[in-house]
Amino acid sequence: MSNDTTTPDQVAPAASRGIVNRLGFDRFSALYVLALFFVFFGITEDNFLRWNGSIEFVLTEKVIVTMLAFAFLVPLTTQTFDLSIGANMALSLVIVTKLGLETDLPNGVGALIGMAACMVIGLLNGLVVVKFGVNSFIATLGMSQVIAALSRLIHDGGQIAGALSDTYVNFGKKDVFSFSWPGTGSEISLPYYFFYGLIVVVILWYVLEHTPLGRRMFATGGNREAARLSGVAVDRLTWGSLVASSALAGFAGIIYSWKFNAYTSSVGPPLLFPAVAAVFFGASQLRGRPNVWGTVIAVYTLAFGIKGIGLRYPREIDWMQPLFEGLTLIIAVGIASRQAIIKVRKRKGNTVTDVSPPEVNAPAATET
Amino acid sequence: MDTLIRIDHLTKAFPGQVALDDVNLTIRAGSTHALVGQNGSGKSTLIKVLCGYHQPTGESSATFFADPAHPEGRPLVLGDAATADAAGIRFVHQDLGLVEMLSAAENIALGVGYVMRGRRIDWRKNSDRAREGLAGLGFTDINVDVPVAMLAPSQRTAVAIARALVGWEDGAHLLVLDEPTASLPGDDVQRLFAAVRRLKERGVSILYVSHHLDEVFEIADEVTILRDGVRVTTTSIGDLDHERLIELMIGHRLERVVQSTRERTGATGGLTVTGLYGGTVAGVDLHVEPGEIVGVAGIMGSGREMLVPLITGQIPSDDGSVVVGNTAIDNYAPDHALASGMAFLAADRKTLGVIATDSVRHNLTLADLRRHWRRWRLRHDLEVVETHEWVDRLSIKTAGTEIPIGALSGGNQQKVLFGRSLRLMPSVLVLDEPTSGIDVGAKEEIHQLIDEAARNGAAVLVASTDTDEIVRVAHRVVVMRGGQMVDELTGADMDVGNIERAQLRNDSKAGTK
Repeated sequence: MSNDTTTPDQVAPAASRGIVNRLGFDRFSALYVLALFFVFFGITEDNFLRWNGSIEFVLTEKVIVTMLAFAFLVPLTTQTFDLSIGANMALSLVIVTKLGLETDLPNGVGALIGMAACMVIGLLNGLVVVKFGVNSFIATLGMSQVIAALSRLIHDGGQIAGALSDTYVNFGKKDVFSFSWPGTGSEISLPYYFFYGLIVVVILWYVLEHTPLGRRMFATGGNREAARLSGVAVDRLTWGSLVASSALAGFAGIIYSWKFNAYTSSVGPPLLFPAVAAVFFGASQLRGRPNVWGTVIAVYTLAFGIKGIGLRYPREIDWMQPLFEGLTLIIAVGIASRQAIIKVRKRKGNTVTDVSPPEVNAPAATET
Repeated sequence: MDTLIRIDHLTKAFPGQVALDDVNLTIRAGSTHALVGQNGSGKSTLIKVLCGYHQPTGESSATFFADPAHPEGRPLVLGDAATADAAGIRFVHQDLGLVEMLSAAENIALGVGYVMRGRRIDWRKNSDRAREGLAGLGFTDINVDVPVAMLAPSQRTAVAIARALVGWEDGAHLLVLDEPTASLPGDDVQRLFAAVRRLKERGVSILYVSHHLDEVFEIADEVTILRDGVRVTTTSIGDLDHERLIELMIGHRLERVVQSTRERTGATGGLTVTGLYGGTVAGVDLHVEPGEIVGVAGIMGSGREMLVPLITGQIPSDDGSVVVGNTAIDNYAPDHALASGMAFLAADRKTLGVIATDSVRHNLTLADLRRHWRRWRLRHDLEVVETHEWVDRLSIKTAGTEIPIGALSGGNQQKVLFGRSLRLMPSVLVLDEPTSGIDVGAKEEIHQLIDEAARNGAAVLVASTDTDEIVRVAHRVVVMRGGQMVDELTGADMDVGNIERAQLRNDSKAGTK
């Protein structure tokens, strides 16, 4: 066996790999940024490193955005955009809340009905995208408004709060564990839904990276027709990914119902941006394509950054948050594409500098 | 003929490698000069020095003789784009560099600017200019106002040439065509050649770079052969024959392999096609025995180009049946075809074959991942091992199993795709243009793979516009005209001349689409 293989990143010749590469800065930049936040805000803000000052808040609150980001990530692997995820999250939330308010159905059943409704939306998205051939960007953008209309119809005005039973809420919100940190007296606890989210993370990572299904989804995204000719059922995968996306968005709504036990019409769509941003920011991490752990890292890096800023500038956070989110996305993806360009340049350089036989590398330019 | 440009002692060294070693090249005015050599021979480097992308190393010099003020020639600085342009050297690169969504008129304006009326673009004059430029190449049938994406491949090539030559009256002296036919179907090549001949009549010299030696013999006056960065020779094309040219290119005699004859055994199984209709195919019946290699020849529009897409289910057929082994396949689609034991390679490697950004390993194993699915896990380590086996077995030149397949040369990409098919152990192998855009050496290796697949019992169908290729690999060739299989040649009858005559015989449909 030759020794020139096995890890994705050994493309560049070893000699040219500087300290930046060895520390994996190109692959883990978000983790370094996250560490920077912890050091900086940890020193300047007393509350930043306290469990109930910010850590618990960020860890639990961002489970919702993480689920929504996954809802965007899954179809994206097949090069399909789902922009209806924010509206879909609101749909499951309004259904479970409204059913809790006006019927005697157990809330758990209401939640399942909400999820099912979302998946029907996913089926419709698939129908429009796969069968009618409408560009997914357009189709799901339009669908998001249709869902919004549906949600408003169901909602019928006003804020709904406290409509859900304690049994139901506790199913998600109850703490799995709770103990006092020795010395500080602060209470350390994490609710069930945090771990439900963690289970989704692991399952999704496993499916996308370690099953033929995931491989086929990425192949579909890479070159749809080539994948189809290799026996990949590209239409079914696209359709299925849109249903999975809606289910994940619906689940985000359910988590919201556990956490807040409330519905207002402003929930849902505003979370589309942070979710999409996390996926693209996450794609600049680890593997250079959309991936599960990169997305998780991105969600939490952004969240801790915003939390720190919020602690430091409590009055300005209102306008600083979108600014921070927007700039981080542009800068992170900008750096990643720059590195991609540099890599390509290096590879092109190799076509002639490498000692290996010329035709190995004398590619595209002369032949394809 | 007078000399147009003389390049002396051109050397280009990169760290660790000399790409061009003391190359002399003389291009005569009004001649078509072919530049041939295998991949890595230095052709591309030479073109890149000419167009100013690379700077030469050391004491190179070039002299330009078409400047009226300097009848004895004036020095030409190599490796400088502006100088090359001022001397009237124009380039059409292999990928043409057209903007798909812009019209021909707009694409041409990208090079030289729009024709303006005051501060506004004069669209009518722009279109007129494009039409004139194209008419000068013999292309009067191009709508210059629709996106070039809608044009036929030969028309797009013409647009690229027209763009390079706009304003040629101010002195286009040398047109460099780098693999202009790489993406052209057979009969479009003739239109391109007609355009090249027109240019020649207008006194423009052509430097023609191509892998297709047939084209070189058809169009070139002189040929320069490069091997490993060294000029082997420059000679008049009349002094060479096909075999001698290949010998000079690769440095030794190529064992000219001709397929051994093979009697049909009458065995059943293999591939059976009955009453197939769809697109340009109008009723095809065909049986390929296990172990047999059948070639399909035919010009563009004969149905040859649609046969493989229909058989493999890439394009739905209107009628007919395809049987693999003894199982007929209903509801035909690529995944059904694969499941029935058929494997195939589509004609266009780039759009239908490789997933360019994905790794060699992922590309290789895509069509069957089940074998590495063990205990609920896709075993990447086993995949790597298998990929190494195929890399060795097919002599794929790659820096590893994990690099993107797009970084490999075309021939090596094609070998990976062969591996993708062969690892399925297909009972039927269907190939469309299996060696298009691949150099001579890699071509023979792929032909040997085809032989081997047949020896292992696969029924093999090869559709190709490359008649030499068919003679090389096929036991039997069927010729298509007007959507049907009208001729069959075997044994001694199966030579290039007979096949090409059979393709064109009383065919009024030639050139139609």
